Amino acid sequence: MLERLVQQASSYAADIDGLILLVLVLVGFWFLLAEGMFFWLIWKFRERPGGRSEYITGKEKHLKRWISIPHALVLVCDVFIIIASVRVWYDVKQHLPQADETIRVTGQQWAWVFTHPGPDGDLDTPDDIQTVDDLYVEVDKTYHFQLESRDVLHSFSVPVFRLKQDAVPGRRITGWFRPTVTGTFDIQCAEICGIGHGVMAGRIHVQDAGTMAQWVTANSSTAAQ
Amino acid sequence: MMARTGCRRAGLGLLVLVVAACDMTPEPGLARGKAVYGTCVPCHGATGGGNEELGAPSIAGLPQWYIEAQLEKFENGWRGAHPLDTVGIRMRSMANALDNPGDRASVAEYVAQMAPVNPEPMLQVGNAQAGATSFQTCIACHGPDGTGVEVLNAPPLVGQADWYLLAQLRKFRAGWRGTHPQDVSGATMRPNSLLLDDAAMENVVAYIQTLQ
Repeated sequence: MLERLVQQASSYAADIDGLILLVLVLVGFWFLLAEGMFFWLIWKFRERPGGRSEYITGKEKHLKRWISIPHALVLVCDVFIIIASVRVWYDVKQHLPQADETIRVTGQQWAWVFTHPGPDGDLDTPDDIQTVDDLYVEVDKTYHFQLESRDVLHSFSVPVFRLKQDAVPGRRITGWFRPTVTGTFDIQCAEICGIGHGVMAGRIHVQDAGTMAQWVTANSSTAAQ
Repeated sequence: MMARTGCRRAGLGLLVLVVAACDMTPEPGLARGKAVYGTCVPCHGATGGGNEELGAPSIAGLPQWYIEAQLEKFENGWRGAHPLDTVGIRMRSMANALDNPGDRASVAEYVAQMAPVNPEPMLQVGNAQAGATSFQTCIACHGPDGTGVEVLNAPPLVGQADWYLLAQLRKFRAGWRGTHPQDVSGATMRPNSLLLDDAAMENVVAYIQTLQ
């Protein structure tokens, strides 16, 4: 359902959408029910000629049930939401699957600098490939990213991956993603970071294995020079 | 009846305003340039005097052609695109924000008519006398008095902060600037920067400060 609004292009995008949908349905149901009841009561007890107002303390059992029963049912719904949230949170944020490749993402006012490990697969070696605002990755490959900031708080956000992670100066934060669809997608900064925050946009190019290998070969020779 | 007619007219007026607001392409010129310059103020300052802490140079009074050319380079990624050029990258992002037709020319026109601000010397290094010799190479493009030559795309050097001049010389030498194939004027400057070691750069910058 949500993929009609924003494409799902990572292995965990559908899980996050499922969680959002679960919250939307459960909270939406209770919201609509509560509002419906509210307006129905307003209508039922509207002013009528000769009608007298009645003082209600709300202490009687048959009145308290209007609160206690929905309360218990909402708590049951909360349990479902908490179980689903913990499961998704563990998969996305706490569990780190084996990486096929590790890249570095550096936020700075107001651009993203990406470091690809190059042909040797290791970061901080002479064949590393650095790009500004354009990140090149291979489809169906698990990437770890080391997220850093050179100046202020930023947030690395790839909407089609349902990925958003704050970058904090002085810290190296590790996360992961696995692209599942080829194409070019938006990267944005999701944390106010100064006057140029609105133009701090990049692109992620998800390519098939052959195209990616060509890109690495073409750019690693430049990087090693 | 009168009230209903009044409401209709007010509604129609509001509709006209909304439709007009949908196509509000700003008119290029000084007024527009002044408005756009508001986004430059946090780094370059209200007077265009620059801010060394942010790496923002003094730009007030620079020629319009030079500012336009540099904005074009930033926007196209010919300048400020090296991953280590933190300050240049910041400027590139801001140049990319000029998305209305004529904004580049408008803000350049506005900056060009600002009163020049001569920044105080910040560097305590360099031998101006020794720098005079190195400066002979610069004369060919920037002129004997360092005021720049438009036909050679050489900007004025006088009136510019010493820290900025030194930083740009280092960027040219490191290949952070003047290496993009489309950056023709930058490509002219880069080989000259390769002739200078650290001391020679400091010397020539010290000499340029004596021209002010």
